[in-house]
Amino acid sequence: MTKTYIHGVGMTKFGNHSDRTLKSLLLDASRQALEAAGRPKIDAVFVGNFLAGSMSNQEILGAIVANDLGLGYIPTAKVEGACASGGIALRQGILGVMSGEYDTVLVAGVEKMKHANTPDVTQAINAAMDTDSNEKHAGLTFPGFFGVLAHRYFHETGATKEHLAMVALKNRENALNNPLAQFQKATSIEEIMNARLITEPLGLFDCSPMTDGAAAIVISRKPSSIHVRASALVSGPTQMQDAAELLSIPAIGESGRRAYEKAGLGPEDIDVIEIHDCFSMTEIIAIEELGFFKRLEGWKAVETGHTKPGGKKPVNTSGGLLSRGHPIGATGLSQIYHLVHQLNGTAPNQVEGARIALAQNLGGTGSYSAVHILERL
Amino acid sequence: MKVYTCCGHETVVKRIYCPSCGTSDIQEQEISDHGTIYSFTKIHVPPVEFAEIAPYNVVLVQLMNTTAKVTGRLMGDVSIGDTVELDRVENGAYLYKKV
Ligand SMILES: [Zn+2]
Repeated sequence: MTKTYIHGVGMTKFGNHSDRTLKSLLLDASRQALEAAGRPKIDAVFVGNFLAGSMSNQEILGAIVANDLGLGYIPTAKVEGACASGGIALRQGILGVMSGEYDTVLVAGVEKMKHANTPDVTQAINAAMDTDSNEKHAGLTFPGFFGVLAHRYFHETGATKEHLAMVALKNRENALNNPLAQFQKATSIEEIMNARLITEPLGLFDCSPMTDGAAAIVISRKPSSIHVRASALVSGPTQMQDAAELLSIPAIGESGRRAYEKAGLGPEDIDVIEIHDCFSMTEIIAIEELGFFKRLEGWKAVETGHTKPGGKKPVNTSGGLLSRGHPIGATGLSQIYHLVHQLNGTAPNQVEGARIALAQNLGGTGSYSAVHILERL
Repeated sequence: MKVYTCCGHETVVKRIYCPSCGTSDIQEQEISDHGTIYSFTKIHVPPVEFAEIAPYNVVLVQLMNTTAKVTGRLMGDVSIGDTVELDRVENGAYLYKKV
């Protein structure tokens, strides 16, 4: 129990914002969250971001938010944890409230990637691997790791490329109802299966896209109707060859176990889930690691439809990273944005009566995993 | 090629301290250049620096007589279970060939 409450959320549309700057996206989401919270006095700001330095030549994001929103001379910081930057920023804010240092904190996340070409972005994202390693020198990439994992998963289970396609299709169908999602064009299993290959067996639709966007949250010790019941974060292996078991991402499993323990809840208590589906394969591993389905059987749950909005464990009703989009530093907070709407009964693909929600945000190839459990009071 | 062992951990990455017992006295062991393909991916969209050799396979090799695996590169077609041998180490990468 963190005794930290969510007072307001904000989010820009995810997609291509070629006409807007990183700063304008960041301020837009922050302003929405502040106004939704009723413009409270903010004691600190944490900003989740991964690539602003390398791709927009822009740092000091915390100070920019405080200054341009007129929040005064308050403590601020940028938080980096690759694709988990947003989730880790939220956790830093929660810890600040729990410590007694702050009453109310603004947490924002932002990324702007669409202005760069694919090889440059691929290169920049590779900073989320251990670049001083023989793996990097072998030419392994981020999607490459999940390609290696997928081939082995197929080998050890009955899963095929079609199961990955089912994950991608589900998340696309969910995104069709989410006006803030990046992709709003319908697709089919055939189109997904026949798309060009990125890192075999993963094709274009198995990989989350490059996205511009921002999301923000106001949290406080003052009560509201949404309580952050648990916040957990752990680090895991930073190299593929170092994993004791390739088909396990221990950071996800351990962050989930810690969050359940703090919350006094288990996977059976969760009504709606946002998972870090940076790749279709990752969603299948994550639903196993978080205890929603048995190890090496997540693909069967996908096939049965258990993870669809009407299923017994609805996963990524927002469209997930695959179709909502993945502006890296904003992703973890956009999960919270969507889950708060689920708990308030105002989300696209609304899960009837949802009361307990779980968000899992992954960084690197399992280097970080942050889990937050929210409850409607 | 060498693997580093302590408390049942066998890895090609040398750690400063053993994650189980904390010692810095981690043993080295010379191992065979042979192994089998544990898994792989063919990379069609490479980082800039590998653009000229794409598509290429990144392979996870199960090394012989150890639980350690190593990540390397292999050109051509490959499947899980194929027997491979270390060909050479080039620019910090382990380059494998099929046997
Ligand atoms: Zn030891």
